[in-house]
Amino acid sequence: MKITIPHMGNVYIAAKILFDGLGIDYVIPPLNNKEALSLGSKYSPDEICLPFKLMIGNYISGIKNGADTILLVGSCGPCRFGEYSELQCKILQHLKMNVDFIVLDAVKSIGLDELFRRIKRIGNESSRNSMEKIKAVIRAYNAICILDDIESRAHYMAGYEKSKGECKRLLNSCKEEVYACKDPDKALKILRNYRKKIDCIAVDSSKNPLKIAIIGEIYTVIEPFTNLFIEDVLMDMGVSTKRNLTPSWWLKDMLLKIIKLNSRELLKASDEYLPLYIGGHARECVGEAVLASKNGFDGAIQLFPMGCMPEIVSKAILPTISRDKKLPVLSLIVDEMTGEAGYKTRIEAFIDLLERRREHVFAGN
Amino acid sequence: MRVGIPKGLLYCKYHPFFETFFSSLGAEIINSENTNKRILDLGVGTCVDEACLPVKIYHGHVASIKDSCDLIVIPRIMQVCQNEYICPKFCGLPEMIIHSIPGMPQVTVLPLYMHDKQSLYKWCLSYGSLITRNKNKIKNAFELALKAQNGFSTGISEVRKITVMLAGHPYIINDPFINMDIVNKLKAKGIGIITEEFAPEQVSESQVKKLLKKPFWTFHRNLFGASGALCRQKKIHGIIYLSSFACGIDSIVIDLIRFNLENFPMLVIKLDEHTGEAGVDTRLEAFLDMLERRMPDENNHPSYGECLYSG
Repeated sequence: MKITIPHMGNVYIAAKILFDGLGIDYVIPPLNNKEALSLGSKYSPDEICLPFKLMIGNYISGIKNGADTILLVGSCGPCRFGEYSELQCKILQHLKMNVDFIVLDAVKSIGLDELFRRIKRIGNESSRNSMEKIKAVIRAYNAICILDDIESRAHYMAGYEKSKGECKRLLNSCKEEVYACKDPDKALKILRNYRKKIDCIAVDSSKNPLKIAIIGEIYTVIEPFTNLFIEDVLMDMGVSTKRNLTPSWWLKDMLLKIIKLNSRELLKASDEYLPLYIGGHARECVGEAVLASKNGFDGAIQLFPMGCMPEIVSKAILPTISRDKKLPVLSLIVDEMTGEAGYKTRIEAFIDLLERRREHVFAGN
Repeated sequence: MRVGIPKGLLYCKYHPFFETFFSSLGAEIINSENTNKRILDLGVGTCVDEACLPVKIYHGHVASIKDSCDLIVIPRIMQVCQNEYICPKFCGLPEMIIHSIPGMPQVTVLPLYMHDKQSLYKWCLSYGSLITRNKNKIKNAFELALKAQNGFSTGISEVRKITVMLAGHPYIINDPFINMDIVNKLKAKGIGIITEEFAPEQVSESQVKKLLKKPFWTFHRNLFGASGALCRQKKIHGIIYLSSFACGIDSIVIDLIRFNLENFPMLVIKLDEHTGEAGVDTRLEAFLDMLERRMPDENNHPSYGECLYSG
């Protein structure tokens, strides 16, 4: 068995650490790029959302490199993500690519026994003993937590750094170094080292940079290729950004959902505007916008793929939050047509607006 | 009290319930007009741009009656069958409306689980008490409403020489403005129509069982099962699938049906705010011509990509 996974932000690094620890053969497809996108859009339905198309692109390049099993997570609606595995499986069959799908679905839709059976299918491939397997899983979990931590610190510190671009450099070299490392224990050590390094970056605390919350659909906010590297763009502009949705947040959310203790603060914040779960992460998006204004952010940028059903609902609600809480919100919708110039202009205009707002509105001019 | 009931989305399926309930409580029912250009324009003007056509039109219906009612029924229909959803936009419908249309009167925000009698009663009790304090009266009205709903059914079943399945969400099939009056256009051409409601249930079930994962959308289960069943039983000659642009559910379902039925004739018509009918007419005619020519020697056609006479 040779496993491949679709990309989503830094998940591939954690997956590599996991599979290295388990001793399972794997292929990590090349990071999302134009080729994956064009392959994906060619074989996917026209109106499906962007993550689906990129995933198909990832699978195809993974299969070309010898993968025969695809590992994927799932959900049980009402957002389209729950049906991804079904249609993707059919599309790959149609392309005469015979691969196994292992879908780690929500307990609610397949039951606990089936979920364990599926996890065992992966576990049985590993020749390590169960102690080592558990260790490998914990190690991978730690890795993704540390990596998310490093990333969010880098994004936030970018506004305060003394020498421009240092945070970005550090973040990029961290990812490269960890990915190049074959030994999982060593990889974890590298990550811990980098966390220390990022704390030691020289900061100018007298600065008062713009603070922007990145909110919206989980895949498009996490996967930098889909949002045209918006966080990097903002880092270059010296803006501090914060985003709540990360792979480690998702994992914690899924686990805590079983006992209904997931993201209490976010959901409480969203109660006023969207009291019910409507699928996807619409409630989280609304809650984050409310929290962003509470925590003194200057603005929020909402990102979602064209046609995303839950985010359309939250996009309808955001203008009210924007009015009530005096928080400027920019909604950016992405699809496979990536026109960078128009996109960047809108971000720049938004940043300009926030800057002038500080000078005028808050100064009382 | 004047209760507004907009004629959009699942009104076509559940209007007897809401109308009977509120009218037997003595409320004055205010319906919006049948969908027309004015409603569409109102909807497009108020609704968030990315939404699909039926949701935009629903906004138009609400906006057209909002000033003449005290309460507007915006059913937040979460589920119509156990553990199956409809669409995220239905679950957030009241929020979409309240935050998009300014100056709204009171609206109904409690969730509705149409398969669960208790949750329905809770809903009725909560909004019925706005009109009367008499619980018995509410209970009676509720029973009457349930009865009216149970005695109501939709769907078309007319078998002719050439019969097509008209597939799509109920609010598209049942609204002649959205679907450009396709039902009458087909009837005028002498084409028979079957809708999903008339597919044999057991065969549909067995079709759905072929899927790897149990579908969690009711529309998905119905349309996939019904199209498969009608096709396998040779009751239809083709499928006309009406879908609104950017419909999330259809983007999955249409392709799953295609993979399931392989080379069976299927015409997918995407509907949006454009109201020009010529393009739709042409495509419809071409599709029907094709079905007609396929008829006499249906069994003599080579399967796709093969040649019958290679001499």
